[in-house]
Amino acid sequence: MYKLYSVFIGVLISLMIMFNGVLSQNLGNYPASAIIHFLGLIIISLVLTVKRIRINLCRDIPLYLYIGGFLGVFTILFNNIGFSHLGASLTLALGLLGQTIASIVIDHFGLLGMEIVKFRKEKLAGLIAISLGIVIMTVY
Amino acid sequence: MILAVLVSSLAGALIVIARNINSLLAERIGLFPGTLFNYITGLALSIVFLFISGEAARLSFGSLEAVPFEAYLGGLLGVAVVVLSNIVTSKISAFYMSLIIFAGQLFTGIIIDYFVLGLLSAGKVIGGSLVVAGLVYNLRLDGRPIEKQK
Repeated sequence: MYKLYSVFIGVLISLMIMFNGVLSQNLGNYPASAIIHFLGLIIISLVLTVKRIRINLCRDIPLYLYIGGFLGVFTILFNNIGFSHLGASLTLALGLLGQTIASIVIDHFGLLGMEIVKFRKEKLAGLIAISLGIVIMTVY
Repeated sequence: MILAVLVSSLAGALIVIARNINSLLAERIGLFPGTLFNYITGLALSIVFLFISGEAARLSFGSLEAVPFEAYLGGLLGVAVVVLSNIVTSKISAFYMSLIIFAGQLFTGIIIDYFVLGLLSAGKVIGGSLVVAGLVYNLRLDGRPIEKQK
């Protein structure tokens, strides 16, 4: 079930990137980022209002849990640097490499609240196929 | 050049780290309030970058009106992505979530290219199939379902 959700998230991200790309071409990367976050803020505020959800701020929440939004904007900044110096394909491929390595490290050590999933050497074959696939997609 | 390679890879790593941090926050304060804070902090930093980059002048009512309406749908989709990610992140391993999302993106991209541009890229289909094959192979190696009982 959660696998299906993940596929769906991927579908939504593709469409989102397409729409956000049009916005960035028209307005520039940073104005687009501000508009996208502004619209998102309005939408999630509407959801909270309609569902009458109250926000309880617990004092004992570590501050770093609030920086997810910052990281998202840094992703945009770093991607912009990549796109302008390396081109689209290489930036995307490196981004996927970064995602893969970060995911494996998080799983292996059980970081950020994740359950520990140790990396097994047998999985290298699968990893090589995945990397090869990404390279082929990037080159063509 | 090397710096560009480093920050491009870091951009990918940050996606995963942000996803996990957002989901931890959502577990503590609730799914939708957690999403709200993602947008509050994101908008704040976007505005800072907007002024530092000197692109603020490109924003005007005229320029906003000139953009086709559907381009603004990305903001809505972004919220759906954050909410759904907050639900899924703690349930399956970070690695499989990243790859399954990637596979979904990949095939949507191929379908969009086909219907919008009339293009069917052999390289993308072959490369994408390899990615999915490697993913399925590794999933089977696990010998157990990746969904955790929680």
